[in-house]
Amino acid sequence: MADAFSLARKQDLPPPGGYKPIPFKRIPAKTYFSGYAMFAGYIGVTAAAMYLYSINYKQIKRDQIEMRSAKMAIYPMLLAERDRAYLKQLRKNRDAETELMCNVPGWEVGTYYGEPVYKLLPEDALVDPIFHEYYAHSSSWDWHQRAYLKLRS
Amino acid sequence: MVVTEDVELPEFEDLKTKEVKVSAATLITAGPYIGKQCEVINNEFMLCRQEHGDPRPCLALGKQVTACTMEVLRRMKKYCLEEFKQHANCVDKSSGDYSFRHCRKTQSVFDFCMEDRLCVRRPEFGYFTRGRVHSSNSKAPPPPPCPCHPKVEDATPELPECKKPYKKPRFGGRIYWSLE
Repeated sequence: MADAFSLARKQDLPPPGGYKPIPFKRIPAKTYFSGYAMFAGYIGVTAAAMYLYSINYKQIKRDQIEMRSAKMAIYPMLLAERDRAYLKQLRKNRDAETELMCNVPGWEVGTYYGEPVYKLLPEDALVDPIFHEYYAHSSSWDWHQRAYLKLRS
Repeated sequence: MVVTEDVELPEFEDLKTKEVKVSAATLITAGPYIGKQCEVINNEFMLCRQEHGDPRPCLALGKQVTACTMEVLRRMKKYCLEEFKQHANCVDKSSGDYSFRHCRKTQSVFDFCMEDRLCVRRPEFGYFTRGRVHSSNSKAPPPPPCPCHPKVEDATPELPECKKPYKKPRFGGRIYWSLE
């Protein structure tokens, strides 16, 4: 035990040549562009993108106008066809209601036991029925088809 | 339903006419030509619809509109069937919304045929989206009767006139911006 203590003791000292200097100085990141160049780049890229966008925008507008024009050209024909189908269906509905309610005493078609829905309109005025009344006498499948048209198109 | 027995609805026989039974693609493709050649009757029909706000008085015009469309399609079929079919097929299958922009080649072939054999030109760009003046011979419907008297008696008649003199309030109103 005494031998162990008698060994020459070695003090912890700096490495030969001393420690490296401590890097305390601020090292900024390398700048690739100056601030002005970045602003200029941003404006340049934005301008180029806007130019390309404007080309595309005009093209899309042109196509939309062309399509709208074509659709408006056939609109009167579609409307005429629709009117005929609509009036046909109204007559069918009225006939169906007459037949359905023929056993109910005091029932008048289009009214609630003789009390009209619209009192101030002239008698011959055609009031568009609401959707569910229009489809009241049709099959539920047809009603569903029309009511949820958006789900299928 | 709100349609009573007093409302005159046309008979089924009066509503019968030869309908245009073609696909949407066909109609849209032929749209500009239909619109151009049937412009007068189309405008007349739309004017009638707009003025009356009722489909019933415009049925005869509507039938003429359909007949005119049929006539245009018939002539197209007679003279430019192949070109038209090619173009309509392209319009049908190139996009989901029948846009013309994918089909310029077939369109030019079709347009050339129409101009060559039928002497009809495609109306210029956006023709039907513009406002166009239509001079019509038809008379406008009679305006609604005026002055528009109420047709039912007022359920809550006005209060009898008060004889007591009405003085201005001494301290003004409770709300400072009110007039009294």
